[in-house]
Amino acid sequence: MREVKYAEAVRGALEDEMAADETVVVMGEEVGALGGVFTVTQGLLERFGEDRVLDSPISEAGVVGFAIGAAAEGMRPVVEIMFSDFVLLALDQIINLGAKIRYMSNGQFSVPLTIRMPGGGGTNHGPQHSQSLESLFAHVPGLVVAMPSNPSDAYWMLRHAIRSDDPVIFLESKNLYFRTSGDIDARTGPDGFGASVVRAGDDITIVSAGRMVERSLQAADRLAAEGVGCEVIDLRYLWPLDTASIEASLRRTGKLAVVYEAVEFCGWGGEVAAWAGEHCFESLDGPVVRVGTERVPIPYGHALEDEIVPTAERIAGELRGLAAY
Amino acid sequence: MTQTAASPHRPDDTFTGLPIGEADLTEAHALYRGMSIVRSVELEIEKMHRLGRMSGSFHSSLGQEAAAVGVCAALREGDMVTSTHRGHGHALAKGVTMEGVFAELFGRTSGVSGGRGGSMHLHDRRSGFLGENAIVAGGLPWAAGAAWARRRRGGDDIAVAFIGDGGFAQGVTHETLLLARFWESPCLIVCENNGLAHSMPSDRLFGAPGGIARIAEGTGIHARYVDGRDVVAVARTAKEMVARVRAGVPAFLECGVYRVRPHSLSDPDYRYRPKTAGRDWLALNDPMANLRARLEAFPGNRVAQIDAAVAADVQAALARAEAAGRPPAAAAKSYVYTSPELQNHA
Repeated sequence: MREVKYAEAVRGALEDEMAADETVVVMGEEVGALGGVFTVTQGLLERFGEDRVLDSPISEAGVVGFAIGAAAEGMRPVVEIMFSDFVLLALDQIINLGAKIRYMSNGQFSVPLTIRMPGGGGTNHGPQHSQSLESLFAHVPGLVVAMPSNPSDAYWMLRHAIRSDDPVIFLESKNLYFRTSGDIDARTGPDGFGASVVRAGDDITIVSAGRMVERSLQAADRLAAEGVGCEVIDLRYLWPLDTASIEASLRRTGKLAVVYEAVEFCGWGGEVAAWAGEHCFESLDGPVVRVGTERVPIPYGHALEDEIVPTAERIAGELRGLAAY
Repeated sequence: MTQTAASPHRPDDTFTGLPIGEADLTEAHALYRGMSIVRSVELEIEKMHRLGRMSGSFHSSLGQEAAAVGVCAALREGDMVTSTHRGHGHALAKGVTMEGVFAELFGRTSGVSGGRGGSMHLHDRRSGFLGENAIVAGGLPWAAGAAWARRRRGGDDIAVAFIGDGGFAQGVTHETLLLARFWESPCLIVCENNGLAHSMPSDRLFGAPGGIARIAEGTGIHARYVDGRDVVAVARTAKEMVARVRAGVPAFLECGVYRVRPHSLSDPDYRYRPKTAGRDWLALNDPMANLRARLEAFPGNRVAQIDAAVAADVQAALARAEAAGRPPAAAAKSYVYTSPELQNHA
């Protein structure tokens, strides 16, 4: 397959699942005629028609609730939230209904729903368009939280999400949409929920996800030049959390750093750190290090943003300290 | 849209409801039976709470039975209903069994939600009762989406979303009104205006009964108001609206009713209305008594037999429900996910 950009990979997954299953419909603001503000749904209206590509009013709660109801009656809707920040308007429907219908009804309903949303910083969109809210969703029983870091995963994980019988929060990185290209690897179909080791190393385990995988790899490059080998695990899913991969790596390296774009305090990296402390205590040769975003809103300018969101430089600095411990 | 001069929120000894004739008797008896079931079950639930045999919260729809029964009488078995925290009447009117409701409130395995939903989370897919939703107006987009999905997949079933006057203040209500029209969802939104959003009088927000329907009508949806003290009027209005919805467009029905009981069992309603308000209203406006009086004008009426049969059914259902088994400990963790892989991970 030709090399594609991250945004094209997402579009390809939508297109292929829509072609394979007519219960798959796409709903959201500007997904039709405009083709999505990040071009992700371009061409879908022309190919699949208004019946399956539904431009919605600016009504996040209503649209998500509507999609939940449709999913519980056998459709497989894919809702696009224009920026992940806007999903906050729909949290009641997601958390109180979509994530719980199956449990509350004692298994009478399933909700095969995918909610896609671009999150994170790196595009100068300012405080209400740049948050990394994935930790909120990882906290909620009933949800799956997917966070692809590259085009191939974006493609296969989205196909997996659409086929899933459970609601999936699918967090894309708008910073990666057009900046990152890659081959879609030739799998025969979506794989499971496991993490992937994207760089091997023996001295420090770095656990990361989404856009921070790239910066973790950059930091690992710097440390390699200094003789420190970092293993980088791309979690791909925050829930289910692939603890087996973390444990296997940690048994070899003895040191753990968690790098994430969400606010560090009460963010998902704390969960990984606590898990390692509880289950891998004997393997740890140093303190678990969290490198997350500082607990302030995301500012507009790059220079200011880089003061608070982990940069390769800041990650490398933390890794050096850990290596020296 | 029709308007009534009298408010169903105030005691009124002149209200009688539509006259009924010989030709209406079958329907009227069925409506009476439906209300008798809801009334009897809810009175029994109150008793169970007083005796400490049920626990948690309970929101009674006593006095509002005509809305649930009248609307659901216009539905088919395959049609769907979503409801609110005050939803026992909707569930029973849609065909959920008394035993299934009682068992759920006793926390038994045989409860419609396996004993883990409770009073505010009755779900019974077989009877088309998608479920209550304890978040005010939260079930509204669910109904709209479900009706839309069913229609796309080739059926002509519709969905009814019950909300209250309190729910009409929620943003998601207005979003759903627009969406249902925009995406042509065959759903009927029924707003039971019971005069009080907990302690907030509905006329402070919406004016006299009928005001909510007028706002809904402004979104371009066919909207009507009906006096919910008369189950016959509700049933006839609902029938007309359901036929319209079945043809493929949404509609909105405001139903003027009154909340006789406090908001919930633990609500000190004397702080915001006279202590006797509920009792006074019921003495003059009770929709059951209203219909009973009209039926009793016919010598061959079966009111007494219906009441006796329902009372016996309620006692039998209650006994079976309470005697049923409790869910095993493992049930606390089941059905979080559909995928076995995820469920095992949960």
